[in-house]
Amino acid sequence: MNLGLSLGTVGVLVRYWVKGRFTKATLVGLAVGETFSIVFVLFGSSTYLSFSNRVGLTTGLSEVAGSLLLALYLVGLIQSGFNGSGLPVNSSDVDYVFTSPVPPREVFGAKILLNSLTTVLFGFPPILVLYLRFSAYYRTGWPVAILAGMVTLVFLVIGLLLSADITLSLGRGIGQRKKLWRNLFITLVLVISLLPITLLIPEVPGVIAEAARILPNGLAATISVGLVSGTSRTIAYLVDLLLLFGWLVGFLLLGVRLSRGHFYEVLEVSVPGAEKFDEPNQSSRLNPRGRSLWSVVRLKERILISRTREARALFVNAMFLSGFLVIYALSGSFQSSPTSFLFILFIIGSFGSGTASRWIEKERLWILKSSPVSMRRYVKEVYRARLAPLLFYLTPVTVAVGVPLVLSQLEQPPLLLGVVLALPGALEIAGITMAGGMYFASRYGQSSADDILSSQAQELADIRRFLFQTVINLIMVSPLILLVLASERLASSLGPGSLPALAASLVVVSIVFASFAINVLLNKAGDAVSRREDL
Amino acid sequence: MPQISVERLTKHYGTLVALDNVSLDIGSGEVFGLLGPNGAGKSTLLKTLVGILRPTSGTIRIDAIDIVVEPEKAKRMIGYLPENPSLYTGLTTLEFLQFVGKIRGVDDELLEREISESLKSFGLEEKRNSLVGSLSKGMKQKVALIATSLHNPEVLVLDEPLTALDPKTRVSVKDWIGAQTRRGVTTILSTHDLDVAQSHAGRIAIIDHGKIVAVGDIESLRKMARAESDARLEDVFLRLTAEKGEDPILK
Repeated sequence: MNLGLSLGTVGVLVRYWVKGRFTKATLVGLAVGETFSIVFVLFGSSTYLSFSNRVGLTTGLSEVAGSLLLALYLVGLIQSGFNGSGLPVNSSDVDYVFTSPVPPREVFGAKILLNSLTTVLFGFPPILVLYLRFSAYYRTGWPVAILAGMVTLVFLVIGLLLSADITLSLGRGIGQRKKLWRNLFITLVLVISLLPITLLIPEVPGVIAEAARILPNGLAATISVGLVSGTSRTIAYLVDLLLLFGWLVGFLLLGVRLSRGHFYEVLEVSVPGAEKFDEPNQSSRLNPRGRSLWSVVRLKERILISRTREARALFVNAMFLSGFLVIYALSGSFQSSPTSFLFILFIIGSFGSGTASRWIEKERLWILKSSPVSMRRYVKEVYRARLAPLLFYLTPVTVAVGVPLVLSQLEQPPLLLGVVLALPGALEIAGITMAGGMYFASRYGQSSADDILSSQAQELADIRRFLFQTVINLIMVSPLILLVLASERLASSLGPGSLPALAASLVVVSIVFASFAINVLLNKAGDAVSRREDL
Repeated sequence: MPQISVERLTKHYGTLVALDNVSLDIGSGEVFGLLGPNGAGKSTLLKTLVGILRPTSGTIRIDAIDIVVEPEKAKRMIGYLPENPSLYTGLTTLEFLQFVGKIRGVDDELLEREISESLKSFGLEEKRNSLVGSLSKGMKQKVALIATSLHNPEVLVLDEPLTALDPKTRVSVKDWIGAQTRRGVTTILSTHDLDVAQSHAGRIAIIDHGKIVAVGDIESLRKMARAESDARLEDVFLRLTAEKGEDPILK
C-alpha cells in the first residue's frame, strides 16, 4: 500500500512538535497526572467490582459496559471532529508548517502519528492498570491484560482518525447542506452509540446486539473484556481483531485521501477567542435600554453561548445522557439498590463542570478589570446565565429517569426517600461542579490575551486544574452523596410516618448546603479573576 | 495638584522587577508620552495605573483617589486601551459597545447617542451588526478606541494605539487622540512612534529596565542626554537608553 507519504518529512515534523511540547516541567506535570489517573482507575475498578459482587448488578466486567464506555469516548471525538478540532493545530503550525512546501497529506500523517503517540503514551498506563486489576480478579494473568490494553489502544487511535476525517470532510463540498448532514450524522452516531446499552433491556431483539458488536467500540470491548475475563473464544477474537484493524485501515485511507488537497482552512487554530462563526452578520440582541447592568451581563453570556458551539455541545450531550439514563432505568438496574442512585448523581452531576470551565476563554479580562464592577458579582451573574441552559437540559433528563424509579419504589418507602433525594441532588451536584469548574478556570484557565503563560506552561496549568478540580469537587459534593446513602437507614429508624417530614427536611438541607458551596466557590472564582495578572 | 500621582511604585513578577521605584506626576489635561525599549516596563506601568495589576508597593492616585483602596471609584475616571485589545468576537459591534458602555456605568440614552456618533465618525456604521470577530484589525482597533471613550473618561491610558495599523487607520487614530486632548482629557500615551510622541505629548518619560531614566519636555530631555539642541527625539531616546559601556547606535 503506497500512501504517498515521505517518512523523512513526517519524522522531522513529529520531532519538532515533540520538542516543542515536552519540556521537563511538562513531563513532571504529566507524570503527576498519570499517577493520579492510575490511582483513580484502581479505586474506581475496585469499587466497581465489590459493588457488582455485592448487589449482583452485573456479573463483574461486562462487554456491554465496556462498549458503552468506549462509545462515550467516540462521541466526544466525533463532536470535536465536527467542531473542526479533529486535527489540532496551533498558530506556529500555521506560520511555519503550513507555509512550508510540505504536501498536506504529510502534515496529516505527522499530526495523526503525534496524536497517536501521545494518546498511546498517556493512555496506556491507566488502561493497563485497569486491565491488570480485572485480570487479577479473573485470574487470567498479566500478558492477557497487556494484550487487552493494546487492543483498546488500537481503538483509541481509530477514534483519533475518525475525528480527523470528520474535520477534513467539512471542507469537502457539503456546502450549504453541511449543517443538515452534520446534524443527521451526529444523531446517527448517538443512536449507534446507545445500542450496547439497549442490550440491558430484557428481550431486546438479537439484531441490535449484532449491530452493536461490529462497531469499533463493540469490537474493542468484546476482545478486551473477553481476554481479561478469560472467555475462551480464540478464533472469534481473531476475526474480531481483523475487523477492528479493518476499521483502522479504512479510516486511515479515508483520511489520507481527504488530505490530498489543501485542507488548512478547515482546521481550527487553538487560540483562545479565535472561534469561527457561520454568519458574520447577526441581528444585535443586546439592547441595554431599561435593563440593569447585571441583566445585560447575563444576556451577553447567553448570546455568546448561543453563537458559539457550546449550546450545540450541551444539547448533544444532554440528548446522549437522557437516552442512556432512561434506557438504563428501564432495564431495572437502578432499582436493584439505593447505592445505584450514586450512578445518577455522578453521571448527571459531572455535566456541570464541562462547558463551565471554558467561560474564561470567552471573557476579555482587560475590559472587566478596567471597569468599575465587582468581580465576585460579575462571576455570579455569568454563573446564573450558564446554569439556566444546563438546568434546562438536565431537568427533563432527571424527570425522565425519576418517573420509572419513583413508580417502582413506591412500595418501599425507605428506598423512595433515596430516589427523592438523589434526583434534586443530581442537579445540585451539577450546580456545584459547574461553580467549581468556573473557579478553577478562573485560576488556571487560559485567558484572552495571556502574554505570560506559554502553551507549555498552560498545559501544566491544565493538569493542575484537572487535579485540584477533581479533588475539590469531590469534597464539595460528598455531603450530598452521604445524605443519599444515609437516607435509607434514617427512614428505617424513624418509621414510615415521619417519612414526608424527613424527606422535606433533607431536601431543604441539601439545597442549603448546595447554595452555600456554590456561593463559596463563586466568591473564590471572583477573587481569582481579580488576582490574575496574565492579561 | 496633579491629576495622576504615582509614588515609589514597584511591581515584581516573582523575582523579576518589572517596575522599580517609579514616581510620576501628571497634570490635568496634560498629554504625557511614555517611551521605552521593548520589555522596559511600559505596559506593566500602564496596567498598574488602570488597576488591572496590583502594585507590589507604592501608591497611585487618580484625582487623589487611591486606585488600590477605591478601585471602582478610580476606574470610572479612566479609559484604557491595551496594546493588543482582544474583544468579544461573538458579539456584534453594536452589542460589544453596548456591553462595555453598560459595565462602565454609562446612562442608556447617552450610550445610544455616543455609540451612534462614534460609529459614524469612524466610518463603522455599516458594521454595527457584524460580529466583532469578522472585522479587520484596523476596524477592531477603532471599535476598541470607541469602547475606551464611551464613558467620557477624564483620563485616557493608551498603550501603543498605532501598532500594526495601516496608514489610513493611523490617521484616524491620531485624529481621535488629537480630539480627545483638545477636550482636555489627561492622556498617557505609550508609543514606539517617536514622531507621534513628539507631536502630541507635552512631556515625555523614558523608562528602561523598570526605572524612569528621564522626564520632561523635548528640550529638557535633550539636555539630560547631552544632545544637540536640534537633536531628534530618536537620538535623545537612544542616548538615554544606551547600556553602560555601550556606544549609542547614533554614533
